[in-house]
Amino acid sequence: MSITILKPGISSSIQDLGRWGHQQFGIPISGAMDELAARLANILCGNDEHESVIEITLHGTEIMFNEAACISLTGSGSIIYLNDIEIQYNRLIKLDASSILKFKPAPSGCRSYLAIQGGLDVKKEMDSTSTFAPSGIGGINGQNLKMGDIISLSRKKSLHKKADEINITKNGFAVSTWIGVDLKEQQHNGIIRINICTGPEWDLFNEQFRSKFLNSEYSISLMANRMGIQLEGPRLELTEKKEMVSTPVTKGIIQVTNEGLPIILMADAQTTGGYPRIARVCSADLSQLAQCRPSDRLIFLNISENESLQKMRKMKEILKSIEIGLVN
Amino acid sequence: MNSPRIYALHDQAITIELGNEINEAINLEVLYLKQDFEAMPFEGFIECVPAYSSLTIYFNESRTQEEVRKEIISRLEKKNLSTNKSTLIETTLGSTINIKPIIIPVCYDVEYGTDLIWLSNHLGLSIDEIISLHTESFFRVYMMGFIPGFAYMGTLPEKLHAPRKQTPAQQIPIGSVAIAGKQTGIYPAAVPGGWQIIGRTPHLMFDKKRNPCSLLKAGDAVQFKSISKKEFESAS
Repeated sequence: MSITILKPGISSSIQDLGRWGHQQFGIPISGAMDELAARLANILCGNDEHESVIEITLHGTEIMFNEAACISLTGSGSIIYLNDIEIQYNRLIKLDASSILKFKPAPSGCRSYLAIQGGLDVKKEMDSTSTFAPSGIGGINGQNLKMGDIISLSRKKSLHKKADEINITKNGFAVSTWIGVDLKEQQHNGIIRINICTGPEWDLFNEQFRSKFLNSEYSISLMANRMGIQLEGPRLELTEKKEMVSTPVTKGIIQVTNEGLPIILMADAQTTGGYPRIARVCSADLSQLAQCRPSDRLIFLNISENESLQKMRKMKEILKSIEIGLVN
Repeated sequence: MNSPRIYALHDQAITIELGNEINEAINLEVLYLKQDFEAMPFEGFIECVPAYSSLTIYFNESRTQEEVRKEIISRLEKKNLSTNKSTLIETTLGSTINIKPIIIPVCYDVEYGTDLIWLSNHLGLSIDEIISLHTESFFRVYMMGFIPGFAYMGTLPEKLHAPRKQTPAQQIPIGSVAIAGKQTGIYPAAVPGGWQIIGRTPHLMFDKKRNPCSLLKAGDAVQFKSISKKEFESAS
């Protein structure tokens, strides 16, 4: 049981829900950028939520299934073809051996997640399969996927039997009629709303810059990757320049660089940083950010710690209800 | 000292901030708290990540922010850090923190210590004086960060305090030993960096196949030992 990477595309890598417990040695959490989409992909195809998935950034990726399999695709950012027929996200798909999945350019979105029923047979390194390419940890040989990589599949038992209800047609595959929920939030006039809580250094910015931060539109720059998303927009300044000692940072933290521009730390973020931390993104909204591409526009909304926690809780409840619905 | 500032760093992480400076006493207190949480972890505890003057505690999804915050506050109250911290720290850390220094060999040849000549001019010290100052001191690992296996060590003798580079170097070779301000560190991988390079160690600071993967951890004592180019080459 295996799949072959015919083309890695712009960037694709093996991820799970992250490498927790090693930040004290400077090792980032990593894991799926859009955590909710990765969880959903696993749930839809009957895997445990923590199972490894393939994260496909934008497009160009082509994957061949060397055996018959059941899969699901979540997230956004590609128009996906299976055996040259367009298929939709958020379904359960059953396919024959030799099927080929192609990720082609789409007008919006950024990251797709492929989960395969039974899971990927990838060795954990430091408790996780997540690829952190800069240090060569996780994935296959510590690297992002390359042309010709073969990934073995596991045969863990599916948590639901929905695959029995669909039959493969002459196209070599079958798609469920039911749809897993689309977790992407509605955009307002093309502007993405990102909920934030104020950060540890919020008070070091005066009223003028705080309101600038909260009331201005920022756009995603070209410097956006798994480590962080640099924004473009109004510049922010500290009331008084203060030499900061390195402080803890993690995914979701928004730092303001010396140039006065916010940078949002993402999955592969460093564990410490020296810039003022103006805010932190509500964990549930990191998934929205993971789906942003350069030039996408966003605004920040200040919510309470409690609202932030509620939001994530609500998303997890939605996922749980989907899982229960599929199992029963 | 004021009572610590406690804030959420993430939905699953809370930071206890004891100050905002590079100060050995504060850092000891951070490490003392780390040991305490590790020795008696609460339910759902993942890990403690120490920084210069703060400790971040990560916990899993089974626990809420509110529950963990209460747990942390009650533990801090029991420790009553602000009143009798020095005795607590001495008795606990004195016995548990490894005070025997880890010796790190460094070749201070100008071929590897690419900023030695600049530093010599800037600091008004000979290269030999720089080497002596760097090898005679004991350093503490205050925290890990930046990239896997990077130890922030201090405190550098005042005579060696130098600014960071105006423009960071594109690629600093693996094992490069560097200084910046009060700090010294070793680059565990080839990455861009802005510290002044004074030498190179043949030791692997980070090896994912080793357990623990990092040669150093917060709280370790470190001393550098000068080795010749020949010794460096045969050890690499």
